[in-house]
Amino acid sequence: MGSSPLMSLGVRAMAANYAAMQTTGHNIANANVAGYSRQQAILATSQGQFTGAGFFGRGVDVVGVTRSHNAFLTRESASAQSLAAMDSTRLTQLQRLENIFRTGESGLGYAATELFNAMVDLSSRPTDLATRQVVLARASDMAVRFSEAGITLDQTQDAVTAELKSSAAEVNQLTSSIAVANQRIAALRGSGQPANDVLDERDRLIGQLSQRVQVTRIEADDGTVGLFVAGGQRLVLGGSATELMVVASDVDPSRSALAMREGTAIRRIDDAGLGGGSLAGLMRFQNNDLVQGRNLVGQLAAAVGGAVNAQQLRGMSLQQPIGSAPSQPMFALGPQQALPQRGNARDPGTNLPIGSVNLTITAPAALVASDYDLRESATVPGSWDLRRLSDGLVRQVNGGDVVDGMQIDIANPQPGDRFLLQPVARAANGMQVLLTSPLDIAAASPLLATPGATNSGTAATGDLVVTASPLPFAGSSEQLQFFRLTPPVNGMDYEYVSSLTGTSTPWRTGLPVVGANGFTLQLTGVPGDGDVINIDPTPATSLASNNGNARALLALRDGLIVGGRTLTDSWSQSLADMGVRVQSAGSAASISAAVASQTEQVRSGQDGVNLDEEAARLIQFQQSYQAAAKMLQVAQSLFDTLLQATQ
Amino acid sequence: MRISTSYAFETSLANLQRRQSQLSEAQEQLTSGLRVRKPSDDPAAAAAAERALAAEARATAYMRALNDSRNAMQMTESALGDAGDMMQRARELMVAAGNGSFGDSERQSLAETLRGIRNDMLSVANRGDGAGRYLFGGQGSDVRPLRDAPGGVVYDGAAGQLNAAAGEVTPLSVDGGAVFLFAPDPGSPGGAVSIFDAMDKAITELMMPGRPSTDVALTVTTALSQFGAVQGNLSGWRARAGEALNRADGIESRLSQSKIDAQRDRSAAEDLDMVGAISDFQNKQTGYDAALKTYSMVQRMSLFDYLNP
Repeated sequence: MGSSPLMSLGVRAMAANYAAMQTTGHNIANANVAGYSRQQAILATSQGQFTGAGFFGRGVDVVGVTRSHNAFLTRESASAQSLAAMDSTRLTQLQRLENIFRTGESGLGYAATELFNAMVDLSSRPTDLATRQVVLARASDMAVRFSEAGITLDQTQDAVTAELKSSAAEVNQLTSSIAVANQRIAALRGSGQPANDVLDERDRLIGQLSQRVQVTRIEADDGTVGLFVAGGQRLVLGGSATELMVVASDVDPSRSALAMREGTAIRRIDDAGLGGGSLAGLMRFQNNDLVQGRNLVGQLAAAVGGAVNAQQLRGMSLQQPIGSAPSQPMFALGPQQALPQRGNARDPGTNLPIGSVNLTITAPAALVASDYDLRESATVPGSWDLRRLSDGLVRQVNGGDVVDGMQIDIANPQPGDRFLLQPVARAANGMQVLLTSPLDIAAASPLLATPGATNSGTAATGDLVVTASPLPFAGSSEQLQFFRLTPPVNGMDYEYVSSLTGTSTPWRTGLPVVGANGFTLQLTGVPGDGDVINIDPTPATSLASNNGNARALLALRDGLIVGGRTLTDSWSQSLADMGVRVQSAGSAASISAAVASQTEQVRSGQDGVNLDEEAARLIQFQQSYQAAAKMLQVAQSLFDTLLQATQ
Repeated sequence: MRISTSYAFETSLANLQRRQSQLSEAQEQLTSGLRVRKPSDDPAAAAAAERALAAEARATAYMRALNDSRNAMQMTESALGDAGDMMQRARELMVAAGNGSFGDSERQSLAETLRGIRNDMLSVANRGDGAGRYLFGGQGSDVRPLRDAPGGVVYDGAAGQLNAAAGEVTPLSVDGGAVFLFAPDPGSPGGAVSIFDAMDKAITELMMPGRPSTDVALTVTTALSQFGAVQGNLSGWRARAGEALNRADGIESRLSQSKIDAQRDRSAAEDLDMVGAISDFQNKQTGYDAALKTYSMVQRMSLFDYLNP
């Protein structure tokens, strides 16, 4: 046995330790590279050489370099980050939306309250042009705030679309990089050794992709991975990637939807199946939070604007000729719309949908902050199912029915037709004041109530509110005569008879008196038997100083004019609704971020580089390397000894 | 457990940043003095603050309306006081006219004085409130509500009263017809006396020359009785105006109380509890300080530092 086995043993040991140090150096170098997995040189004992005296070890071999990788933790971390990205994206968008729901003096609710409070001064000084001008200024302040909210809502939608587009572009870039990595991994597979750094790179890309959209990952036998979104739509398969696109939504073209390009066909992705990722967060914000925000603002605009307009039309302005110039509505509101869906039957010539729906707002106070889905009833032919999207309430309606304050007229319905109804969604958009002159404000009531001169009771007239426009008996005087009912009938101790219709109505003190000529009247005191109240057209000489309609406009402030609640109640509820949304999105985001951080901590704890560990390894391998070098020295001196012996 | 060095850096940095942003959030609350600046800070409190703000704005508006009513009623009260004084002088004139030693010329000069009073009375009845309205305009009159017409003074306003919108009955005007034209007639129950008709009649009869003393005496007694009734009616209305002023004081104290309540509610809902906030801020400051210290200490430690070069 000579010295050369020892020499070669030393050389192999030096090479192996060098390789180990090289790997450690690689780890140290990549310690701060995102997604890098710590690598390890795998050393194995060389098979010993058999001699008559037994097996003599031949040293060490470098078998390969593996990366420390836990597929489960990697997957777990990617999906946790997917959810975290979705929640934080939605939170960011919601915080933008929350700016519209401002509290206090800069809020929409306060602007509306201030408009009504200006009616207080109008009631005190109906003839004063400056006071009337203040009312117009308050009205325009409110309209501007609403239309600005509408603009902000549109801008928010634009920003969502832009972000969807840039995210989709990013996704496409990532998926094509992943496809390329797949190809390289498959090609390198023949070498028999794992392509650690390419694998890391692919995992990193998939991690980035997961932040945009949650993917299901399926490993193939050739080392490639297939990535799928939304319950099975192919995003990456082997070396090819499918393009993700942003298209106009089927439901509402102003919204965006995601789709995949498959050859020439475009296949839409169901938002509900998206799972996680910032794209899912954006879609959820767009289709849920933004719609709700839009409807809450729109409901307030439509209800307040509608109530003021209606009351304005019932009053008398100071425009010439005084007493006969018809009043004009105060506000212009954005339109209500009924959008035909993509599958509706179309005219082959014009390619326009044949069937159409026309929405008319009949009772602004009954409007609900919601969109509606209208489709042909599956059970009753010719009838329609109307689903309120905010709470899922389904009602069966026919054309011409009035539901939630809107009348639904359906023209040329075709089988399978479906419509999205948006009664209030765009009401705030473009809201503006139509009145130009302070004289246009209808502060005066067209009717005046006076107790009969010979009344024996103590009844006096209080607020008279006109409830119809035009008046059912315009220009006529009405006399209501009160009679005692002894004994009282159903708790009513009076009845009154209208001179216009001759009908008698049971009444008791405290109830409003409802006249045939479209008004309600409050009485104070107690009428005597046979007493009369006269309701006459307001004389032209009293119109300028009459404040009846200004008081009726003020009464809207405390009336149930927004979905069965007062303006203030409704607005503060909207504030709370939006606040809760942002708050719960915030806690969801912080929880999912904490989960993502924990899973990433576990993953990186296993796969990441610890510099102290690498320092220790460095010393370990350095010492082994030095020992192996010593072996060479020994081998050399052995050889020298041998040479000297033979001299 | 292994710790990835780069992840340890990342999380420490993220924690530092989080603490820093919490600190700045706390500072923002302290400097603005508001705990609720947007609905998501505390949705229920934001809603409560919004309601309180609306209640405060309503009370403020009502107080403006109440002041308008109070001004109008003060002017009405003083106008009715003037009218009452005039009636007193008119009665004194009539008593003087009953003097048996007076001849036609004395009575005529008294009648002239009475005519002056009568015209003053009409201008009091048509007094404006400075805001473009007539004090005695009833439910609204855009022209002088009482007008000389053939057959006597007539009322052009609508009967009744205008009210300011202060949430309660707060009159802005008084029914001029009831004040000046329809005083209860002492002579015929259910009948009415007009101030101007009574004066006009007295003036006409006093101007009539050569009337027997019994006729003159009848004129004087009738006029005195009617003037008395009218004066009683005027002081009745004056008392009503005074009563409206009294009520205005009560309403004002209720309104200012509800305004204070609303301000208190709003403050309770959205204002910051300074003591708590400062202690919270100090807590956060200490936390941030500790995080900075440990960060610099822990991150300095590395095995590489201990390896000999």
